[in-house]
Amino acid sequence: MATPAFTFTPSTFQKLHPAEFFRRFTTEGVRPDGRLLDSFRPTTVHHGVISTANGSAMVRIGGTTVVCGVKAEVAEPRLDAPDQGYLVPNVELSPMCSSKFRPGPPSEQAQAVSEAINRVLKESKVLDLKDLCIEEGKAVWVLYVDAVCVAYDGNIYDAALAAIMAALNNGTIKVSGGTAANDENSFKLKLARTPLSATFAIFDTTLTILADPNVTEETISDGQISITLDETGLLCGVTKIGAASCSQRVLKDCVQSAKKRTLQLRGIMNQL
Amino acid sequence: MSRTELLSPEGLRIDGRRPAELRKITSTTCVLSQADGSAYLEHGNTKVLAAVYGPREARHRALVLHDRAILNVELNVAPFSTGERRRRSKNDKRLLEMASFVKQTFEPVVIATLYPRSQIDIYLQVIQHDGGTLQACINATTMALIDAGIAMTDYVCACTAGWVEREAAIDLNYIEESSDTSEVTIAMLPKSSKITLTQMESRLHVDKLEEVFRLAGEGCKQMYEVMDKTIRDRAEDLARKMAV
Repeated sequence: MATPAFTFTPSTFQKLHPAEFFRRFTTEGVRPDGRLLDSFRPTTVHHGVISTANGSAMVRIGGTTVVCGVKAEVAEPRLDAPDQGYLVPNVELSPMCSSKFRPGPPSEQAQAVSEAINRVLKESKVLDLKDLCIEEGKAVWVLYVDAVCVAYDGNIYDAALAAIMAALNNGTIKVSGGTAANDENSFKLKLARTPLSATFAIFDTTLTILADPNVTEETISDGQISITLDETGLLCGVTKIGAASCSQRVLKDCVQSAKKRTLQLRGIMNQL
Repeated sequence: MSRTELLSPEGLRIDGRRPAELRKITSTTCVLSQADGSAYLEHGNTKVLAAVYGPREARHRALVLHDRAILNVELNVAPFSTGERRRRSKNDKRLLEMASFVKQTFEPVVIATLYPRSQIDIYLQVIQHDGGTLQACINATTMALIDAGIAMTDYVCACTAGWVEREAAIDLNYIEESSDTSEVTIAMLPKSSKITLTQMESRLHVDKLEEVFRLAGEGCKQMYEVMDKTIRDRAEDLARKMAV
């Protein structure tokens, strides 16, 4: 007799064996949400959504939505860099955006993403910090870059970085006394480069690469690779986390795919 | 004159509204995929997002009530939402007070006895602040709770009113609110015209209170119409989609 002892409905099967359920799809080259393995979710970028901020943007990647606002404030410069302003990026994952997050102090994930973005902004010198100097040793501009996640469906790093870059790109600092946005008392932030990223999940021992993982794919995957590139195609950062080991070939494929993706994302960001 | 004129000689307000005119309201429900119910509401430039999770298992055993659900309200203000950037901590007293206002407003309206031993979480995110945050939070919460399908006896509609220079006006914006105007926020159940919340923290002459109250009540009724339309449109849209 070939009849199995139990039969499951697809949704029960998905709940009991999420990885096996997923594998049935990936072996056919598709994913349960209908995407191909290397396709990214539809992405939209809106500029200047918050009028109280100096610069702002909203980015949506599939079900993940991030709102980012830049606020400029005057502060004393750091002792070791008296002629430089500074950037303070922060990513907030509040319990509103997913039932995964608990109220309370920032989660480990939120802090890790904030720090990763901080490093990218600092190390790839996105802004010339000397532009933010008002008077050497006395006063500089501090840019508080706050990205608030309002809906979480995986791949927060790509969404947050894109939102932050779009908000900075949109940023204008009004020197006090200035009235209109385009008079001589205000200046636009000049970005030296715009790093954008593409994230991939590594699934299974077969090292199946899933582009732009959503929240279920993130939980069943064994690791993630994030590749950050600027507009000339130069690498600004490569991060690989998780237990899955990955080969040179996988990394190469990811970089290739990331190049295409960031180019497409840049296109979306530049249409106003 | 050092103070900004809040009322023009023609009787128009600083943003060109008449005293009994609300700002433009934009509202949508079902905006977040992860939450059980959600709503996005704009009162002019005040923008609030509400998400409802639950009824679900209570997080802390000790808090469980065996005969009804507990409400949990958390309010978060985005750092870029105000003119001055201020790092508001989770335990900011002002925010906690506002969250408790929202909670106490909804406790008598939500039929909590239908969901024993469970918890309903309401998360509010202020994205942009331009006066009237409490009214926006309450209105957004009503819509998110309805979107989540949680049983309530009525809508809760909130509106602010205040005495601006020489006249009573509703739905004060940030400039009016911050220039020494007395402001009253009321929340009303529109069907029974019962008031569930009144809040005022500045000086106002007793003789003027009645006029301010009357205007705020009218504002609530107007709010109700806008919110009800959004909810009904959404329900009709869903019904149409399910029929296909």
